[in-house]
Amino acid sequence: MAFTRRKEKDESPKQPYTKSTFVVQIIMTILAALFLAPIFIVINYSFKTKKELYLNSPLSLPESFNFDNYKKAFDKLNMVTTFSNTLLYTVISVLILALLCGLTAWAIARCKHKFFKFCYIYFIVGILIPYQALFLPIYIIGFNLKLTNTGYGIIFMYIATTISFGVFLMTSFMSTVPLELEEAARIDGCSIIRTYFSVVFPLLKPAMATLIIMQSFQIWNDYLLASLYVSKKQLKTLTVAIQSLFSAQTSDYTTAMAAIVISVLPIAILFISLQKYFIKGMTVGAVKG
Amino acid sequence: MSGRKKTNWNKTMFKQYFLLVLPGLVIFTIGLIVPMLMAVRYSLTSWDGMTKEKPFVGFENYLSLFQDSDFLNAWWFTLKFTIGNTIIQNILALLFAVALDKGIKAQKLYRTAFFVPCLISSVIVGFVWLRMFSNVLPAINEALGTNINFLLFGDGDTVLSGLLIANNWQWIGYWMLIYLAGLQSIPAELYEAARVDGAGAIRRFINVTIPMLAPAITICIVGITTGSLKVYDLLVASTKGGPGRASTSIIYQTYTTAINGRQYGYGSAMSVTLVIVLLLVALIQVKELKSREVQA
Repeated sequence: MAFTRRKEKDESPKQPYTKSTFVVQIIMTILAALFLAPIFIVINYSFKTKKELYLNSPLSLPESFNFDNYKKAFDKLNMVTTFSNTLLYTVISVLILALLCGLTAWAIARCKHKFFKFCYIYFIVGILIPYQALFLPIYIIGFNLKLTNTGYGIIFMYIATTISFGVFLMTSFMSTVPLELEEAARIDGCSIIRTYFSVVFPLLKPAMATLIIMQSFQIWNDYLLASLYVSKKQLKTLTVAIQSLFSAQTSDYTTAMAAIVISVLPIAILFISLQKYFIKGMTVGAVKG
Repeated sequence: MSGRKKTNWNKTMFKQYFLLVLPGLVIFTIGLIVPMLMAVRYSLTSWDGMTKEKPFVGFENYLSLFQDSDFLNAWWFTLKFTIGNTIIQNILALLFAVALDKGIKAQKLYRTAFFVPCLISSVIVGFVWLRMFSNVLPAINEALGTNINFLLFGDGDTVLSGLLIANNWQWIGYWMLIYLAGLQSIPAELYEAARVDGAGAIRRFINVTIPMLAPAITICIVGITTGSLKVYDLLVASTKGGPGRASTSIIYQTYTTAINGRQYGYGSAMSVTLVIVLLLVALIQVKELKSREVQA
């Protein structure tokens, strides 16, 4: 990750704002408007009444902001339960994931034994194995180990399917942690575990933030694993609940549109406030460093 | 004496580090590696998922796969979808990134606008585009008096382009960000030097930008290809594999065969083919693209 971004400040003198820049600006504005159009349409629909849905043009604005659809979506999605389930699964999974990936990557980076080199390759192979293709045995093994229809079962699978990327990410950050501090701690008689938590862990915080944010998105939006592992109503996640709402309400989709807004809003806010870390995680390896 | 002491010390160190790796290793093995091996084992049986014994049939499942027109159709759709995505998404993402890097005002605002769709779950994206094509866009025809066919999900010939639009809308912003980070890491001096040597804008793009972007290109190509081969969520709330079987992807087909058709053995054979294809594609692409990176 040793690269220096061009500062936005000294970008302008090198690239003067010419006529062609203006043309590009206009084209990009049109494109951005097109990209955002479906989102506006979803929000627009979410305020429409049933009458407006059938009688008015889909492009017309609603006559007033009525939150009936939101209330209905809230009930139909069983919002309090599904939202807290999704939040709980996501938070617990990523916290355990961050803990495990940090420890694993540290051991791999510090111990030169062959076994740990093997571990690294073993984990990296996991990045290439698509869990989506293995949903059937993943379901069967979960069923046999009594993990299906439990909260910890789905958390276990989220960790298992994302750990390889996490180990890869953390190992690539580990080179930025100076050895001297660790050695000093060891000489002072710290155990390995204490050395990790008192010396290494604080230095890994930016990498941890990146890992946690990236995986949160993936887990929050997961559909396949959640639909396989939880069928009990009180364990369902947002995406699963929203999918059953979609198939149940084919004609009156204003409620579905309101449900979309409620389920996307928290994640959108989280991204916009934390984009820096997200982009960092995405671009690992994309930049010559 | 000291030598022995050292090996002892190494042993205790090894043990301690081993304990750190162990939990992750166990979870990963049970959750991903064992299922992988199970899939291979089941694929050699005619198990229906209910009986205790799993009758061994050797490679029979694999042989019947090649005569199964539904399976071949599913692969054909998945391949078209993958190739379409890899080409369109890469080119557009790169173009968008280049345009945003041209020093336009409020670059961050545009970046967010293009990126937002990828924060939405694919299930929802599928539903939104289902509504876009069937309800919203036809209203444009009414308003303008034109007669463009927007009902892309309704016809087997157009469903692929409809799904490509939905998928590209969702992911272009994501790959654009990777290209943007790559572009911003290219030192301005390189462009200066090329300009001094008399290279025009297009030459600079081909001879400076593209080679310097090689690592980003590798990530984007591999990411888009493998991601598209695994398409499933997008279909769940949009086309459901239809009309007919026109948009049944390989995972969708495996799901129908294994879960609804209760052919666990046969379905596992389908999974194994997908895993093999994905591994091969990723390895070949990484090897091929990495060798170019070195030359560049």
